[in-house]
Amino acid sequence: MSLLTDLSIAVAAGKRPDTIRLTQELLAGGTSPQDVVEQGLVPGMAVVGEQFRRNEIFVPEMLVAARAMKEALKLLEPLLAQAGIKPKYTVVIGTVQGDLHDIGKNLVSMMWKGANFAVVDLGTNVSAERYLAAAREHNAHLVGLSALLTTTMPAMKETVRLLKAANLPNVKIMVGGAPITQAFADEIGADGYSADAGSAVSTALRLMGEAA
Amino acid sequence: MTSREKVRRALAHQPGPVPVDFGSTGLTGMHVSCVAALREHYGLPRHPVKVSEPFQMLGEIEDDLARLLGSDCTGANGRGTMFGFPAEDWHEWRAPWGQEVLVPGGFRPREEAGNIYLFPTGDPTVPPSGHMPAGGYFFDAIVRQQPIDEDKLDPADNCEEFTLLAPEDLAHWRREFARLQGETRAVVSGIGGTGFGDIALVPAAFLKHPRGIRDVTEWYVSLIERRDYVHAIFTKQCEVALQNLATFAAIAGDTVDVLFLCGTDFGTQTSQFCSPATFDELYAPYYRQVNDWVHRHTKWKTFKHSCGAVRPLIDRFIACGFDILNPVQCSATDMDPGRLKADFGDRLVFWGGGVDTQHTLPFGTPAAVRTQVTERLRAFSPHGGFVFNTIHNVQARTPVENIVAMVDAIRDFNGTPASSP
Repeated sequence: MSLLTDLSIAVAAGKRPDTIRLTQELLAGGTSPQDVVEQGLVPGMAVVGEQFRRNEIFVPEMLVAARAMKEALKLLEPLLAQAGIKPKYTVVIGTVQGDLHDIGKNLVSMMWKGANFAVVDLGTNVSAERYLAAAREHNAHLVGLSALLTTTMPAMKETVRLLKAANLPNVKIMVGGAPITQAFADEIGADGYSADAGSAVSTALRLMGEAA
Repeated sequence: MTSREKVRRALAHQPGPVPVDFGSTGLTGMHVSCVAALREHYGLPRHPVKVSEPFQMLGEIEDDLARLLGSDCTGANGRGTMFGFPAEDWHEWRAPWGQEVLVPGGFRPREEAGNIYLFPTGDPTVPPSGHMPAGGYFFDAIVRQQPIDEDKLDPADNCEEFTLLAPEDLAHWRREFARLQGETRAVVSGIGGTGFGDIALVPAAFLKHPRGIRDVTEWYVSLIERRDYVHAIFTKQCEVALQNLATFAAIAGDTVDVLFLCGTDFGTQTSQFCSPATFDELYAPYYRQVNDWVHRHTKWKTFKHSCGAVRPLIDRFIACGFDILNPVQCSATDMDPGRLKADFGDRLVFWGGGVDTQHTLPFGTPAAVRTQVTERLRAFSPHGGFVFNTIHNVQARTPVENIVAMVDAIRDFNGTPASSP
């Protein structure tokens, strides 16, 4: 097995010390930081997403894997920035106005980071105007909206309306959260819906025109 | 047949009229705005409704409204609140949605740009522990996680809230059960401290300076990376809970029908928060101890709340000794009412499942509400083992005509005449 495969396995299992050690060994051995991300971390996190989707692992395991990935990225991101390498896609994510819940949003954010998207996380209680401003500022390809409460679903609808009205070229909108359904996503004009963090990556890639 | 008899028949898996619960616990109630709308609808005396649970802003369902709703249960609740101040010394407060409500004395919020902050024990000299954002209807806990030094983590820090019942608590319970003598409804009670790892309680909105693991993500990570630490917390918590249960039982006796034990959510919309193996290793031993104690020493039925897609864990809940599952979230994956009833209905009481509060009740038509309520009554009620309740609390902004449609559908199903105010 190659070290890159070992890294994928380590990150998927959430083994932080191994993930850090293997990342360091790969870099020391001359593997480019981009390859470490794309051929080591991304496949590892893809396994996490798939296992989560199949109910083979659960929220704690996903969080632990994401932590391992983050540790590796701490080593890799300065090198990637130095080399001027940016992820192909930028996504803006947040929980809609009036809603402070962030577990689901954070899981999706981690999985998108694990798919090598540049993630701009606006946090919770995000107004429609803030989403729009961030989408413009970061030239986002995708905006992700989360809501847990039935009382904040109208804020999601309003945010989608504002983003659509702004006519940003090539910006897709994805929604999710406990009370959100495909039917509601369709009703408010969102481009995509994901029921869980595991399938959020494949849905996003599909919206980007990639074969997920 | 009294309300209590109806509930006891259902709990014993005997057929009969379907009993109903609105408001006996903090997870089977209604938002204070909905309670006021119902009082208005039924022409009941107008007065500010008490916020019986300030975190979720639940309204007190007083006896006059409970009778009209057909509720067969009443709560015997502890004296504290989620913010650590007692539910007493009421005063009026104008909620952001314009409603005059009654809130406990410790409910002294700070308002900034439409955001409302509440303080643990009502003490404004410490950082706030609750936040209702502008335009919101509920509070959320503010996480006040201190930096974690792995070498210095002490489970005792996470056990600050698990203490023996204080003299003022005992006095409260004595008053409460004196009040409930002769009660003809089923009594649902709970002493707190018996729910293991309830994520809503981890941030400890009731503590001034919470120590240990208080961040939600850190807690979930701890289930894997600091499992011994979590076991140590649960062990201590269980020891205290068993002592408190003995003290409480000596006061409450047979006045209690149902004991709310645990609100830990094990389900997400599509999956579970932990594997069956984690449940078996980390939670089951403590649940068994508490349930065993209750069943050995009392006639109470034990109540487990867990939202979400918990089907893979239901056999385990039963094996741990739980008698009742709430809120039976039928919209979650693999939570079909008919299959749940067929597979677990002879061993478990379903307390909930009556109507979907994420979709149908807040957003459907009254006709759609009636249809769903009737379907659920047909699915869950055969051979008893069912107490009607909405799936979790009725949320703010739910149209009053939908709540009324639900109440009417239950009444029609049971063939009981409408009550008049």
